[in-house]
Amino acid sequence: MPKFLHTADWQMGRAFSRFETEDGAALVEARFEAIEKLARLANGHQCDAVLVAGDVFDAQTVSDRTIRRVFNATRAFTGPWVMLPGNHDAALAESVWTRAKRLGAVPDNVHLALEPGVINLKAQGLAILCAPLTQRNTYSDLTEAFTTFDIPEGLARVGLAHGSVQGLLPDEIDSANPILPNRAEIARLDYLALGDWHGMKQIDERTWYSGTPEPERFRNNEAGYALMVNIPGQGQTPDVTTVETARYRWHQWRETLTVESDLDQLLDRLQALPEPSVIDLRLEGSVTLAGEEKLINALSVAEARFRSIQCDRSGLQLEPTDDDIAALRADGYVGEVIEHLRARQQDDDAEAARDALAILAGLLKDRKQEVSE
Amino acid sequence: MKLRRLQVEQLRQFRQPFVLDDLQPGLNLIHGPNESGKSTLVRAIRAVFFERYRTSSVDDLRPWGDSAAAPTITLDFETQQKNWHLVKSFLQRKRCDLKIDSDSYSEDEAEEKLAELLGFQFSAKGVSKPEHWGVPGLLWVEQGTGQNIEQAVEHAGDHLKSALNSLVGEVASTGGDELVEQVKTRWSELFTPTGKPRGDYQKLEKEREVYQQEIDELRARVQKYQEQVDRLGKLTQDYERTQHERPWEEAERQLEQAKERYHQVEKLEQQQTQEKEILNHLQSRHQLLRQNQEQLESLNRKLDVRKAELDKAQRELDQAEARSPSITNSVQEAKAAYDVATRQVHQARLHETRARLERESHRLEQQNQTLTRNLEKSRQYQKELEQAREQARQNQIDAQAVKALKETEHQLKEETIRSQTIATRLTWQLEPNASLALNDEPLEGQGEKQLLEETSLVVPGVGTLGITPGGEDLASTRRKLSTLEQSLGQQMKTLGVDSAQQAEHRLTACDAAERTLQHTRELLKSVAPVGMEQLLADQKETQSQLQNAKTELQNSPAPEADQQGQAIDVASAEAGRTNAETRLAEAETEERKHQTELLTRRQARDNARTEWQQLQDEVQNPERLKQLKSLSTELAEIEKKRRRLEASLQAREQEIKQAHPAILKQDIERYQRSISNLRQTQEERQRELRDIQVRLEAWGAEGLEEQLNDKVADLEQCNRRYQELDRRARALDLLLTLLAEKRQALTRRLQAPLQKHLDHYLSLLFPQATLEVDEHLRPGTFTRGTELGQIAELSFGAREQMGLISRLAYADLLREAGRPTLVILDDTLVHSDTDRLEDMKRILFDAANRHQILLFTCHPEKWSDLGVVPRDILAMKERGSANLV
Repeated sequence: MPKFLHTADWQMGRAFSRFETEDGAALVEARFEAIEKLARLANGHQCDAVLVAGDVFDAQTVSDRTIRRVFNATRAFTGPWVMLPGNHDAALAESVWTRAKRLGAVPDNVHLALEPGVINLKAQGLAILCAPLTQRNTYSDLTEAFTTFDIPEGLARVGLAHGSVQGLLPDEIDSANPILPNRAEIARLDYLALGDWHGMKQIDERTWYSGTPEPERFRNNEAGYALMVNIPGQGQTPDVTTVETARYRWHQWRETLTVESDLDQLLDRLQALPEPSVIDLRLEGSVTLAGEEKLINALSVAEARFRSIQCDRSGLQLEPTDDDIAALRADGYVGEVIEHLRARQQDDDAEAARDALAILAGLLKDRKQEVSE
Repeated sequence: MKLRRLQVEQLRQFRQPFVLDDLQPGLNLIHGPNESGKSTLVRAIRAVFFERYRTSSVDDLRPWGDSAAAPTITLDFETQQKNWHLVKSFLQRKRCDLKIDSDSYSEDEAEEKLAELLGFQFSAKGVSKPEHWGVPGLLWVEQGTGQNIEQAVEHAGDHLKSALNSLVGEVASTGGDELVEQVKTRWSELFTPTGKPRGDYQKLEKEREVYQQEIDELRARVQKYQEQVDRLGKLTQDYERTQHERPWEEAERQLEQAKERYHQVEKLEQQQTQEKEILNHLQSRHQLLRQNQEQLESLNRKLDVRKAELDKAQRELDQAEARSPSITNSVQEAKAAYDVATRQVHQARLHETRARLERESHRLEQQNQTLTRNLEKSRQYQKELEQAREQARQNQIDAQAVKALKETEHQLKEETIRSQTIATRLTWQLEPNASLALNDEPLEGQGEKQLLEETSLVVPGVGTLGITPGGEDLASTRRKLSTLEQSLGQQMKTLGVDSAQQAEHRLTACDAAERTLQHTRELLKSVAPVGMEQLLADQKETQSQLQNAKTELQNSPAPEADQQGQAIDVASAEAGRTNAETRLAEAETEERKHQTELLTRRQARDNARTEWQQLQDEVQNPERLKQLKSLSTELAEIEKKRRRLEASLQAREQEIKQAHPAILKQDIERYQRSISNLRQTQEERQRELRDIQVRLEAWGAEGLEEQLNDKVADLEQCNRRYQELDRRARALDLLLTLLAEKRQALTRRLQAPLQKHLDHYLSLLFPQATLEVDEHLRPGTFTRGTELGQIAELSFGAREQMGLISRLAYADLLREAGRPTLVILDDTLVHSDTDRLEDMKRILFDAANRHQILLFTCHPEKWSDLGVVPRDILAMKERGSANLV
């Protein structure tokens, strides 16, 4: 009754350029923590092994420190880890793996599947059929060899591969490294652990993508999980459970504000999000000066609260109400300027007009406060 | 606003109440000398409005030395269709009362009404200062400040603008300018004054480039790294496959085979060489034998040849001998001819000598004759010469003396003639037989006589008559005649002649003898140029030579008589001899040659005979016949052997050719090279593998892609920040531009009414000139013709005039906006010239149609044509005190 943890696409060494330095660092850190968490989970669930289905590293030339830290992070689980080279960390003549070996960073319990073949974990009752990428991209199905692999009697036959299952994933996914949809069946596998698709996804009852354990993009595709696989016996359907591993959840919202309550609703939803969130907002429509102020305040609060929040307001027009303008006490030519800017938000240079209007409103408001003081 | 009455009391020099009433709605000219209180009145008007009634800072209003005074000003005026009565007291009695029609106000309330009405502020503390004066500060011009308008406009700015606003119906933005400044400040944080990015905005732009460059470099390195990895993969694969296949081993096997085959071919070639040598040997032996055989066979042919040669020599000898007699003959003939020629030459020489001698003697004979003839002639000439010389000597006479004689004779004749003419002539004709004696000289017949001297005539029978010729000259003539006769006789005596004719004759004879002498001398010279002696010597010489020649001729032998009887000349005789000599030499040479030929041919014939004899002996030798036979046998044997060998050689040659030894050799080289190449390639692969591995390890350790990721992140950070700044920059730029545009547009609208009034006055003062109002409503740029400049650049007088018309324009503007206006001018335009002042008067008169104007001056005469009655302060004072009294 072997039981193992299926994970993939750690993408170690990736930097998060779209965020502020500090947030990017935290997100990188979270990926190391994810490995540690996997190790703890493996221990906690008394797993026999941890299988990593490719793209452990984001690139071949990551720093030595990153290499060492990755292997260090696995230390908590002393059982066997099987790591498969993916397209980002293919087992080339010189690769991140050969470097890791040279550095002496690879612990004994970590098996690197650098060549196609079978890794027998007799003690654990597992035979891991490995289809590592030995080129950056291949256009033939590497798992085809699985059919020819023989394994010792009595071991569970588990495939480990990295690539796209043909015809099942969205078109935008690179069609390189193809995998036959019914490979598990053809190769008489008890389970086929796949990597490359960053969201958790079941292909058939024996074939799964685990997805990345820590999300690293906004596309909402069920990232941030690992799979706990229990093989009850030879030929039997494996028992697959999802285990959450993510520290941060990534949210990307595209909202259009039309009436004032839209903003309130948005802010309520924002309020409801947990703190370890990474948020990307893009707002369109229009907002009053008061609304703008409210929004800016709310964003300011959110910045402090969440890991990261980015808000693109370039599509959001500033529509001061008459009351707004009256409140600004903008008479004479300043009033004319405000009118002009309002109108100009419809033009090509809407963004500049909007910003100019915001700046002007801000200045007028400050003045109003000064006066009232 | 119209002032009607002003009363002051206890104020400076007006200790007593002073009233200025009957003020007109338009122009009011108030004059008085200095110190008369003109300025005090102006001060009073200012004080009643500007100074707070309760201030203690108006000591200047107090009459000098009167600390108990309460300066009081009472003012009646009309505005907004209401009558205003204002009474303000300062210092000792601080009070302010204002009555507007029936409404009364006092103290602060009253003062606020005034400020509101006129548009000014009160000073918070102390005396009122220009910045508080507002509109009145602009319209009430103090002495000597008319030209300084800018400050005044500024102080009145808000009031003017509100007046304009009410006119134009626009609202100048409250604090708009301040807002513009704020935007400008924020804009300046991002841009330099010329609109270039600055500070972070600029820095980020540069940083982006730096990052991009670093990223490009890193990307290139990553690319290189990946290429090297690929190369490593390929190399490893190649290396391992090669190591497994070991292709050089196959090549080595092939090399061995090729070597073996080559070895075999080499053996064949050796055999071939050996056999070829044998063949060569046989061939040379064969050749040698053939030569021997041929030599033996050739002896017979040689014998025949020698026989022929012998015959030929004999024949030639015979021919030569046959020619001998004719040759000897011709030599003898030549000798005889030569002798004849020699004799002829000798004869010809003799002939020639004789002929020469004969010619010589003939010539000498002739010469002798000539000489003899000449000698005779010369002797004759000599004789003639002697005769001529004698003749000359006999007739010798002095030619000069003859000439003198003739002269003397001539003079004598002339004197005689003269004496006859003057002499007394005595003519007579006597009867026959009658005679007379004159001076004892008888006279008969008839005659005539000239008498020069006293003469006595004796007449026979009669007596004697004395006749004395008269005249003085007669005596001198008689003396002269006598002298001349004496001289003539003397001269003739000297010459030895009897008469002059004789002298003449002798002279002619002498000359003829001289000429004959000369001629004869010439003739002598022609026959004996050097004298007779020489001629004699020559003759002697010639005769001796002639003698010699004749002797020689006689001695010379006479030539033989020739057969032909004719003499042959020497030259042709010698030519004949030379010819004969040549022919003789030729004949002798021919003979010698013939002798030599004979000897040679005889020798040749003897040799030929000997040789023929020898060969004849040899041919007949029996040993030679035996040799010939044995040679033939041996030759036949050698020929057989040779054929056998050649067949074997050809067969082997074919074999070798088919084996291609050169190609075999190339094969060996090829295989050797291949092996070496294969091994070398593999070694190189190994080396490159090691190199790449080392390189990749080094590069890998740098974590290139992670670095790249970091840099990309940095760049994006930078980009984001830049975008933010850029957005802000564009927004600020837009905002600032818009604010400036709108503000400018507004200003232009606001300026329009003021400009209109200003233009009105300006056209009166400077036709064709323009004066623009700036954004602060101040008169700004002034143009007149090609002049362009600011008001401040004009002359003081012009500035004052501009100041005044500007103020009047403001007044018009305020009036148009329904504000009260009052213009007070304290001794203004003192710097204007007459023409300009004239224009200004028209302007003032025009303005007075709309505003009340109080004009204070100490020069009333300048304003006499203003069309108003001037009012004299002094007179009013007088009247006031009179009234009081």
